[in-house]
Amino acid sequence: MSVSKNKATNLLRSSEKSSLKRFLVLYFILVVMILSLLGTFYYQSKEKLMYSNQRTTLSNYAHEQIQQLRRLHRDFPQNTTYPRSVEFRSAVYDIERSKIFSTLTHPVLRFDKEIYRKNNFIRFMVYLDDYYLGAKYLFIEIDEDKEWYSSVIMEIFTLGTVILIVLGIFGFFFVNLFLRPMKNSMILLDDFIKDTTHELNTPISAILANVEMMDLDVMSEKNKKKLARINIAAKTVSHLYQDLTYLTLDHNRISNDEWIDLKTLIDDRVEYFAILAGSKKVTFELDLNYSTIFIDGIKIARVIDNLISNAIKYNKRGGNIEIILRKDYFMVKDSGIGIEAEKVDDIFERYTRFNSSEGGFGIGLNIVKSIIEEYSLKISVSSILREGTIIRVDFLKGTVDDK
Amino acid sequence: MISKIVLVVFLTLSLTGKEFEKKLENKHNIYTQHCIPCHEHLPYSLEKIYMLYLKTFSGELTFKASLKAFLKEPMEETSVMPDEWIENFSVKEKTILTDKELDEAIDTYWELYDVRNKLH
Repeated sequence: MSVSKNKATNLLRSSEKSSLKRFLVLYFILVVMILSLLGTFYYQSKEKLMYSNQRTTLSNYAHEQIQQLRRLHRDFPQNTTYPRSVEFRSAVYDIERSKIFSTLTHPVLRFDKEIYRKNNFIRFMVYLDDYYLGAKYLFIEIDEDKEWYSSVIMEIFTLGTVILIVLGIFGFFFVNLFLRPMKNSMILLDDFIKDTTHELNTPISAILANVEMMDLDVMSEKNKKKLARINIAAKTVSHLYQDLTYLTLDHNRISNDEWIDLKTLIDDRVEYFAILAGSKKVTFELDLNYSTIFIDGIKIARVIDNLISNAIKYNKRGGNIEIILRKDYFMVKDSGIGIEAEKVDDIFERYTRFNSSEGGFGIGLNIVKSIIEEYSLKISVSSILREGTIIRVDFLKGTVDDK
Repeated sequence: MISKIVLVVFLTLSLTGKEFEKKLENKHNIYTQHCIPCHEHLPYSLEKIYMLYLKTFSGELTFKASLKAFLKEPMEETSVMPDEWIENFSVKEKTILTDKELDEAIDTYWELYDVRNKLH
C-alpha cells in the first residue's frame, strides 16, 4: 500500500503540482507580509522606547538652551553670540518657519513631529512660549546611538527567520493534509486501471487473433461489415489496453533503445488504424521520407498510435489526416474539431479530454508527453477551432541517423 | 547720431538710478523723520522696543502686521510696553502716515534691527 501511495504521489498531475506551488507561494507571501507587519510594529515600539529614553536628556538640553536664549534676548545687541554646546546642536526658527539661526548639520524640514531620527541624528523640537529673538521653534539635535538599531534589526531578522521556518513546516504539513483526499482519489483511480488492465489482455488478444483468422472469401458482404465493426471495436479496446498497460506497468521498465525506421513504423500503424479511420470515412495523406531514430520501439509506437488515434477520434466524418515525416521531425495534421486556444496547454494533462462525447480515459497525450520528455524531444501543438490541429514532434540532433 | 542715442540712454539711466536712490532715501526719511524724533527722548530705545515686539510677535510678517495695526489704532490693551511705561508716558497717538508710508517706515525699522543679520 505504501508503494502504491508513493506512486500516486509521483503521479500528481502537473496542474495539481502548480496548484500546490501557487498555494505555497501565496502562503509564503502571506506569512512574510504578516511577519513584516509584526516586525514593523516591534521596530516602532523599540523606537518609541528609545525616544522616551532620549526625551529626558533632550528636554534638559532644550530647557538649558531656552535659558541661554532668554539671556541673549535680554542682552541683545551687546551680546550677539548664539549659545552653543558641545553636547548638542540647535536651531531657532520663527513662527513663519524661517530660520533665525542654526548650528544643525542639515536644515530643518519637519515641523510636525516632536522627535524624529534623520541622517544618524535625533532631533527634538519644542515650542517657545516667549519668542526670544523672535523664535517660535527650538530644535535640539544629538548624534544617534546606532546600537539599539543594530540589535533591533538583528532581533527582527533572527526571530522572523525562526518563525518563518516554523510556519513553513506547518504550511507544508497542512498542504499535505488538504491534498490527502485528492491523492487517495488518484491512488484509487490508478489501482482500478491497473486491475482492469490485467483482465483485458486475454479476451482482446483472442478477439483480434480470431478476426484475423476468419476466412473473408466465404463471408457475405453483410457479415464482412459486421466483422469489420468487430475488428474496429477490438482494436479500439486494444489501443486503450496498450495505453493502460504502458501507464501502469511498462513506463517504469528499462528502455530498450534501438534504431527505429519511422517510415516503416508509420506505414504499419496507418495500416493498423485504416479500418478505424475508414469507419469515419477519414482518409490518410502520407508524405513520408526515410528517417530513423534511436528510441525504444514500444514507446515511439505509443507516441505515433496516440497521435493517429486522436487525429481519427477528433476528426469530422469524411475528413483527412496528413502525416509528414522528414529526417528530423514528423507531424500529424487533422481536419478535425480543433482545440480552443486557452485549452491547448492542458491537452497533455492526464484524464483531460477535449470532448466528453468521445470515449477514452484522456491518458493518450499524457503518455506522449512523458515519452517526449524522457527522450528530450520537442512537441508543439497548433490548433484552430473547427479547422483542425497540427501536432509536430521534432527530434533532437543525435537521436536521428545523420547518414 | 549714435553719440546722441548713447547720451539719451545714459541720461535716462542716470535719472532712473537717481530716482531709485531718492526713493530709498525717502523711505528711510519717513522712519528718520517720523519715528526717531519722538523716540530719541524716551528712556526705551527703538531697538529695545523692537526686541519687546519680537518677543511677542514671532516672524517678519506677524511682526510688521501687528506693529502696523498698533500704530494705526494704539490702545493700552494692544501695547507691548510695560505697565509702568503706559502709566508714565501713556499710549502714543494715532499715526498720521498713510498706509504706504507706514509700511515703508516699518520695513526700515525691521531691516535696521533684524537679529538674523547680527547673530553669529
